[in-house]
Amino acid sequence: MVSQQLQTGCKPKTGQFTAMPETPSKELANSLFAVATSRDKRAFAFLFQYFSPKIKRFGIKQFGSEAQAMELVQETLTSVWRKAHLYHPEKGAATTWVYTVMRNASFDMLRKMKSSKEECISEDIWPLIDEAEPGQHEFSDHLEDKQIKQYLDRLPQAQREVVRGVYFQDMSQEQLAEHLNIPVGTVKSRLRLALQKLRNEMGEQHD
Amino acid sequence: MIKHHPSNELLVQFSEGNLPATLSVAVAIHVEMCPVCQKQLATLEAKNANTAFEDVVNDDDICFDQLMFDNITSDESIDEVYDQPAIKVEVKGKEYTLPRALTRIGHSSFMQIGKLARSRIALDDGALRASLLHIDAGGEIPDHTHTGFELTLLLDGEFSDEDGSYVPGDFMMLDGRHNHTPKTTEGCLCFTVVSSALHFNKGISKLLNPIGNLIY
Ligand SMILES: [Zn+2]
Repeated sequence: MVSQQLQTGCKPKTGQFTAMPETPSKELANSLFAVATSRDKRAFAFLFQYFSPKIKRFGIKQFGSEAQAMELVQETLTSVWRKAHLYHPEKGAATTWVYTVMRNASFDMLRKMKSSKEECISEDIWPLIDEAEPGQHEFSDHLEDKQIKQYLDRLPQAQREVVRGVYFQDMSQEQLAEHLNIPVGTVKSRLRLALQKLRNEMGEQHD
Repeated sequence: MIKHHPSNELLVQFSEGNLPATLSVAVAIHVEMCPVCQKQLATLEAKNANTAFEDVVNDDDICFDQLMFDNITSDESIDEVYDQPAIKVEVKGKEYTLPRALTRIGHSSFMQIGKLARSRIALDDGALRASLLHIDAGGEIPDHTHTGFELTLLLDGEFSDEDGSYVPGDFMMLDGRHNHTPKTTEGCLCFTVVSSALHFNKGISKLLNPIGNLIY
């Protein structure tokens, strides 16, 4: 599973990072998923390690100042940590999503420098949710959404990941199997178990 | 069908977050209405991401900023994002729904001169001013030129000028060399960005000055 793959690329304490000839696209997407579904700090450490030097380099080009570049690293990675659930793998690479998060943070920082206003309008310009996305509206009722999340929290971790992937992140069972590195059959059986349990807990009104 | 799109250069700068706020909002509104530019934007963002991330190899001696890491992860909550209800405006008895990009950005109430009505978009953007411009049925903007540029994005209704007719989503960027006189039969609502006051071409500029100020 995700955490096992991370062991090769992620050595947070040593500060070492081996140059990779190819982008670890799958590990990056898996890590975003793990951060979204289980607030996985090891997975976030992998993203942090991979992106922070690159964001810093971009920031120095953009602002010509190391302090501002570090502010961009902090702003971008905070958003990655807090908004990972808004990443939809079927819509593009993890690097592209992180780029848009960084671009938005950079836009807001540039505006703050130019005008004294503190407003952040990047998400009005480049919304991080796609409203045309089917499935976004299934849980539009906040109250029901919150309730379902509470029930979800009572599921075992493995089942919770599957339900979140299929119902909240709108992935197909095949995509999810690939992301979790488990067979499709396992996704199906976990989903079935989870739905049974949810149905028992939530009672008749959600049938 | 939309025939007028932002130039490729504008779209590139938009994708990089380097356009001024008023123009960024204009391109964002167009992109939401235009599947062609949506696709183009997605391609550009993927390309930008490659340049920024994939073609860059991290140095071996870069330190892991443990303090920043702890700082970020100490708060486990997530940012929930909810749809904002659309904003409606009424001008001259007609109701319009504003584009999504304008739902959280404020705008003033409409000021009217004759068949023209303008509401200022609350965006501080140096010399650039963004407005909602309404032209009532049968109205027109008198022949004018300007030293900077004038962007007109048709949101609702129709208008036509010397070059043809326009549909919602059409994005027209004119610089000082062009002059035009848009007219509408049904009425229309536009999003405009203007970089300097307008100069009216027909010797009655004194009379038209208020309109120049209204539109800028
Ligand atoms: Zn277009």
